[in-house]
Amino acid sequence: MISLSDANQRSITRFRRKLSAAMVLVASATTILALYLTQHNVAVTATRDLQQNFQTELSGLHQVEELRQAALAERCRVLAEKPRIHAALEDNALDLLYPSAKDELRDLMEGDTPVAQQGAGSLHARFYRFLDSSGAVLSPPNSKDVGELSPQAEAQLALKQLLETQQIGYIRENTDAAKETVHEIVAAPIFSTETGNVISALVVGFKPFELSGRGTGAGMKSGIWADNRLYLPSFPKEVRTALDNEIAKAVGNSRSAQNNFVVTINGAPQLLFYRRLNPDSLFPPAYEVCVYSLADSMAQLHRLRWQIGGAGVLLLLGGFVASHFVALRFAIPVQKLALDSQKNRAKRRRADIALVSTRKKLQRSTRYSADASHQLKSPVTVLRAGLEGLLARDDFKPEIYEELSALLHQTHRLTGVIEDLLLLARMDAGHLQLESQPVNLSQLIEEWLDDLGALSDSPYVKIEKKFPPDLYVAGEKHYTSLIVQNLLENARKYNWPDGLIRVNAHKNRNEIVLTVGNTGQPIARHAQSHVFDRFHRGGTATNISGHGLGLNLARELARLHGGDLRLVCSENDWTEFEVRFVSSPPTANGPSQNT
Amino acid sequence: MELPKSHSAPVVAQRYEIVTHGGVLSTQPPLAIVYLDGSFPKRAAHPIKQVAQKDLAFVPSLLPVQVGTKVEFPNLDDTYHSIFSYSPAKRFDLGRYRPEERPIPSEVFDVPGLVTLRCDIHEHMRGLILVLNTPYFVVTNPDGRFRLSGLPSGRYTLKAWIDSKTTREQPVELKNGVTAHVDFP
Repeated sequence: MISLSDANQRSITRFRRKLSAAMVLVASATTILALYLTQHNVAVTATRDLQQNFQTELSGLHQVEELRQAALAERCRVLAEKPRIHAALEDNALDLLYPSAKDELRDLMEGDTPVAQQGAGSLHARFYRFLDSSGAVLSPPNSKDVGELSPQAEAQLALKQLLETQQIGYIRENTDAAKETVHEIVAAPIFSTETGNVISALVVGFKPFELSGRGTGAGMKSGIWADNRLYLPSFPKEVRTALDNEIAKAVGNSRSAQNNFVVTINGAPQLLFYRRLNPDSLFPPAYEVCVYSLADSMAQLHRLRWQIGGAGVLLLLGGFVASHFVALRFAIPVQKLALDSQKNRAKRRRADIALVSTRKKLQRSTRYSADASHQLKSPVTVLRAGLEGLLARDDFKPEIYEELSALLHQTHRLTGVIEDLLLLARMDAGHLQLESQPVNLSQLIEEWLDDLGALSDSPYVKIEKKFPPDLYVAGEKHYTSLIVQNLLENARKYNWPDGLIRVNAHKNRNEIVLTVGNTGQPIARHAQSHVFDRFHRGGTATNISGHGLGLNLARELARLHGGDLRLVCSENDWTEFEVRFVSSPPTANGPSQNT
Repeated sequence: MELPKSHSAPVVAQRYEIVTHGGVLSTQPPLAIVYLDGSFPKRAAHPIKQVAQKDLAFVPSLLPVQVGTKVEFPNLDDTYHSIFSYSPAKRFDLGRYRPEERPIPSEVFDVPGLVTLRCDIHEHMRGLILVLNTPYFVVTNPDGRFRLSGLPSGRYTLKAWIDSKTTREQPVELKNGVTAHVDFP
């Protein structure tokens, strides 16, 4: 029983701790992201809603302005047609201008309702003045009729030149030290009915339109920023002064006629919108300023922040518990894995040791076979030479010659065994190098079949062959020849007298398949699986020449050539082997020459 | 004398209107007033002149008078008129009146200068009265010819009022029983 080592136990604990930390981290990141997105979303929504409200309020203002401008244009057109106005302007009787216009503009000044109660949307003016053709203000003889205006304020009515379009402006007036008023002024051109030129202008002062703040209920305050100062009576002076600087900065920096930014008033954040009231006007720029309290959206944000924060904490706690369990659960397979790997490591170490030992054994055995073969070859050669020398003598009895020739036959057999062993040893050691080239298999088979027939000790066997004339395989001719020779010799050796050998070969895709079948006693079923073992002779009669290395050698060589050798069947007096070679195209020089 | 080229084809029963071009008042078709400048003894009594309102226009549209002359403004239309002037030479306002208004509304012009007549009700109506120191003046024909008779002898300046901004002058020496020919180029 393998138990986890302390080091493994520690690393698993570390893994579990890291997994928990990662999950906590993910939960925290999710919470923070949700908080950020929600906050952003709330801020964007609030700004958009307030922006819409501001635009809606402004559209009311524009409606009033358009109404006033249209009314004034009409008023000026009518005025211009008045002969007395004309006479006063053209006959150099400016002192008569105001008296002449008094009647015409009486309704402009005298409403049915007192001035203080008049709605901002009304057309009732606070004052009016005429400008002469150069844009200078024509002072009225009696300002009571045309609306009182301080000289400083009156001076602001002048224009550098008269234009053919109406000009909107905003001027401020300090009626006394504490009270400050802003007038909306509209300068409407008066065209001569005779020349069509602008001969004068009527400047009318109105009470500025006050935004009602209906859209958001309480919390919205609007004012006018003109002459670099903010007119917003509901704010104390120091707040207005602070806002003056902010707005001046924003207006100075931004080229657009409208924008918004957040300001802090008395510690509370407010969203401030501004928009140019008189674009393209000759009068100094003035801006409508709207301040919206962000208290509601801040409260909403605060609430949401708490909710999300709470949810985040819950998530965190849940995540912590879950991560603990998940980490435990995840750690089990990891623990198992660690245990397995520890077992596997032990096994592998043993296998490695066994492999090394086997490799050494194999090397030893291979070297031994090669050495033995070499050591055997020389005495056998000496023996054979001695026997052949004795056979050459003629002074022995005839039975001696028989014995000598049997011995010589045995030396030939011994040489075959040694050569086969040597070849196998070289193959086992991986020393056998092939020089692959196209080999004409059909020709090889034909040659070996011819040799079979020529053998003196061969009983008669019938041969059936069926293969195309030029089958080429990739291999080394010597070894390919050995394979074919082995199979054909076995087919002859283990045959009945008057038996049959059937040789077939054909091409199958990129393989050449050669089958060699023969009649004869089949290989015993239990021995069939050992037929390719070394020194195994398939339980056949021992009187048949052979040493039990041929099939093994043939199969090793077939495999070395990229092919294989197998026993197809051995039953009912019929044994058949199949060998497969790698097909090869013929050489460019034509079929290889048989040597 | 040569008058500015007329802009409209002459028609029968020609009406003379006062038109403004760039703030300059003149008659259309053009007419001029030729007068003998100088100081002459004042007359004891001036004949009463008339500028009527007929068919929503002043008739005549251009009237030269001597200082001190009383001009009546009879309303010959079947509607109200309200004749007034803001001219420095004479400011007056006759108020609204109907044709049957009696006595006929009138004004005495005692300061020399050009007086623009307007109607407060009909803004297009314009009339001119040229108040002169001299009793010797005449309105030219439409073709620019004029004849002044009964002039005292002596050296004078003959002036021609063409429009509210243009007055030409020529020195002239008058002799008894002799007709002098003066051309204003």
